[in-house]
Amino acid sequence: MNIHGLQRNFCSAPTTLLPVQLPTRMESHLCGDELQKRALLARALVRTTIARYTNDRVDPRSLNFKKNGYGKPEVEWQIADDWQPPALQFNISHTSSLIACGVTVDSPIGIDVEEKQRKLKHHILAFARRYFSSHEVEHLTSISDIEIQRQQFIKLWTLKEAYVKALGRGFSASPFKTFTIQLKAAAKRGIYLSRDVESEISEISVDSLGSENLTNNWQFLLLELAGSHYAAICMQKHNTLGGKGNVPIKLTARRTIPLVEDECVLGTSAVVPISGLTF
Amino acid sequence: MAAITGPSSISVRSRPHQTLALSRANGLKPVSLSCYGRSSLSFGLQQRSAQLRVSCAAKPDTVDKVCKIVRKQLALPDDSAVSGESKFSALGADSLDTVEIVMGLEEEFGISVEEESVQSIATVQDAADLIEKLIEKNKA
Repeated sequence: MNIHGLQRNFCSAPTTLLPVQLPTRMESHLCGDELQKRALLARALVRTTIARYTNDRVDPRSLNFKKNGYGKPEVEWQIADDWQPPALQFNISHTSSLIACGVTVDSPIGIDVEEKQRKLKHHILAFARRYFSSHEVEHLTSISDIEIQRQQFIKLWTLKEAYVKALGRGFSASPFKTFTIQLKAAAKRGIYLSRDVESEISEISVDSLGSENLTNNWQFLLLELAGSHYAAICMQKHNTLGGKGNVPIKLTARRTIPLVEDECVLGTSAVVPISGLTF
Repeated sequence: MAAITGPSSISVRSRPHQTLALSRANGLKPVSLSCYGRSSLSFGLQQRSAQLRVSCAAKPDTVDKVCKIVRKQLALPDDSAVSGESKFSALGADSLDTVEIVMGLEEEFGISVEEESVQSIATVQDAADLIEKLIEKNKA
């Protein structure tokens, strides 16, 4: 696997920048104090990350945030005479053992993380029939291995969540049944991104089943983080100059303890692309 | 306002201000009784007021069932503190848990919850109230 090689071919902007918290051993459901601690950590992660991408011009403590009309948090930049703030957008997601923050330049972003081992209390197909699109139910039904079916379910869930979070209008405004995530096998390219060199790269796309056509511009990434989580990222596509093809995503991934430790983990086993990276 | 005729006259009115805190705490809408009567009243209720709480929210039985389903979904012990005012997020439920809880409620109560309503459910009480509303609608 050679992620570094790809970066040489990438054009400028937009970029996806992805700090990741190392898992700690915690219960699967946090309560009380632990929830508060996690909320605090999440805020620290967002602040330090955004501040970093202002080239450290802005102090993490001085950042202000607001919510959009649907409650999605955004940075509220202070206007300064001598400085144009970068068009940074962010989104976070967490489980009991990992907090992820995704940052982009100039694109709405949604991110969702889930433990790979997450098990539903309900039967997977019953749940999917209730909440997913018929195409997705078909896809899951066709998988005979129960464990692989469960993994695919979790991947679909995170992709759907990431899409809704990127749209920024909440679960109720974009019900899961109103759009379908498609995983298509793409033509084989020169360099394989998955650990298994034999497998095909799949493309991820979304189709709207409702009347609104919101789905032209979205692209997806699916990663495995820290060996323990699936992470789905959804952001807008940007066209190359001349409108032919899409600018590939330039991905950076960092593992960080805010204000304490920070290391780039792209190209290590901490970040394993599953689908969606195309070039 | 109700009036009861008899040797004493009792007027019943609600006093929203002082009782709002109580109603939030246990999901009940309180009604207070003020007794005005003549000094010859035998039981001496003159100018004393009693508080009578009347439940206008979901039945306790419904709230209990919701608590049970929530505990099961989040794998909380039977004696854990889950009540009407408990917020799902504070109990450690993420979005997948919440959707599973709603699905569990649909199965338990034989109702169908629109996804649009899911976002408005923040507490156990919210869920119980919505359930009773949907049950009523089904009966109609």
